[in-house]
Amino acid sequence: MRIWMRIWAIATNTLREAIRNKLLYTLLFFSVAVIGTAVLIASLSYVEGARIIQDLGLSAIRLFGVGIAVFVGIGLIHGEVERRTVYTILSKPVSRTHFLLGKFLGLALTVWLQLVLMSIAFAGVVLLSGGTLGFGHAAALFLVGMELMLIVAVATLFSAFTTPMLAALFTLGVYALGHLSRELYHLGQQADVASVTWVATWVYRLVPDLETFNKTIEAAHGMPISAVEVGLSTLYAVGYTTALLFAASYIFRHRDMK
Amino acid sequence: MTRSTRDIICVEDVVKDFRPGFGLRRKRVLHGVSFVVREGEIFGFVGPNGAGKTTMLKVLMDLIRPTSGRASILGSDVSETEFRHQVGFLPENPYFYPFLTAREILTFYAKLSGMAEPTRSQRVAGVIEWVGLEHAADARLKTYSKGMLQRVGIAQSLVHDPIVVFLDEPMSGLDPLGRKEIRDIILRLKAEGKTVFMNTHILTDVEMICDRVAIIVEGQIRYQGTVENFLEDDDMRSDVVLSHLPADLGVRLDEDFDARIQGVGDRIEIHLRDKDVSRLLEMALAEGAEVVSVTQRRISLESIFLETVAKSREGSSNR
Repeated sequence: MRIWMRIWAIATNTLREAIRNKLLYTLLFFSVAVIGTAVLIASLSYVEGARIIQDLGLSAIRLFGVGIAVFVGIGLIHGEVERRTVYTILSKPVSRTHFLLGKFLGLALTVWLQLVLMSIAFAGVVLLSGGTLGFGHAAALFLVGMELMLIVAVATLFSAFTTPMLAALFTLGVYALGHLSRELYHLGQQADVASVTWVATWVYRLVPDLETFNKTIEAAHGMPISAVEVGLSTLYAVGYTTALLFAASYIFRHRDMK
Repeated sequence: MTRSTRDIICVEDVVKDFRPGFGLRRKRVLHGVSFVVREGEIFGFVGPNGAGKTTMLKVLMDLIRPTSGRASILGSDVSETEFRHQVGFLPENPYFYPFLTAREILTFYAKLSGMAEPTRSQRVAGVIEWVGLEHAADARLKTYSKGMLQRVGIAQSLVHDPIVVFLDEPMSGLDPLGRKEIRDIILRLKAEGKTVFMNTHILTDVEMICDRVAIIVEGQIRYQGTVENFLEDDDMRSDVVLSHLPADLGVRLDEDFDARIQGVGDRIEIHLRDKDVSRLLEMALAEGAEVVSVTQRRISLESIFLETVAKSREGSSNR
């Protein structure tokens, strides 16, 4: 019970710190602005205005969500070590793993909070432009949240042992690879060189397949998204996130706080 | 008052190596450091900048892991976590989240220490009063002066009512008034029966408040004991000036006495313990040297400390 109180104290403090970060508001402002301008762009098209609004809106939410997850997330642990606030925290009966979990949870809460705000803006724009919303939109937005949670875990892992700049580069690299790994895998299977096939297969196995969480087209086109698919993607995200946090915890437990 | 001699902190042969870069070369920062801190005392861990004081303190706080050796606090290995509700720590130049108030940050640390309501709020209010911050308890920390932040730092180290408190350079960067306030707080901690471990290089503070000291130079303990003993053993010194020395007398004096000898030609100045002066004079006069002057002086902890550091550095450069 006390352990949860400690983790929760760190998480709420992290959330409080994140929502005082000006970068968060800047990204949030631009995401809402882009969602809003989708109406303008849709008005330029003669056909499928509602689909364009939804397509652009959901893509903006995914893009800015990742921006917030990466740029707010990467500095959180490094900042605590640099400013030496981690010294006083770890001098209390708080293990390094609990500290890391608290930081992750705080950032995950921040990401979900901004996702809810962007989703409200998205729903407002869609409804005001005469469109309709259904389970598909809720499922797509929920899976964006799961993807962001996984990206937060990746940022936490890199932030546990490297500088914010490198952590940002690595995390964005994993994000890009994660969306391309499925394509790479298929290309690798068709390659004539065995080593290319081998590399493409291992990239696909090691890097999370982030396309699993991309249901933008299905939601925007009103195509069905099954609850089973959502459930399996959620399990995939939770499993991957847990593995990443285990790795981050192992690294963080063994590093010196110089 | 009977005084317990229970050991609160035990450090045994701690070695710490760092790798400065990506290479395989290692730099040894602590060379087998051992010391003991007893219950209820104010222990000064003294050394020049870069001597390894903060590294040792980080080992005790489990912020860095020793390469070899063992350190324990209250009988628990420092790598354990749960015993830390009995330990308080103030790092050097502490930084706190500027968007929080003193009450909020202390509540945060109380939660980390596992304190539940209503004890938590009572203890936070009590410790705010204890460090004299009632007037600013609900102001954001970004509006605080350095002295006030130092008091917040001390308050966070005490909010969970620990048995032992670690302070890293607690007087660093403070004006004389601020230093006195912190000294008074440390003495109050001792009066309440807490054990205080203090890293410092400000020797006047050590002389004023510490019961025992360990002097660390270049990662090695050079002295460990009470401040009184340190001063009693060495507090009277003499400067002897000799002239017309036979050629090899300077070398022989250097070999026979624990002294610092400076000078050129046949005139030398010798700094040595007062108790050795008569033996030195006897030897010098027998060899036909002329005594120019003998000046006796009582020296401060600072002088002895500087001498210890100089000797250690001389020794290590000769090795």
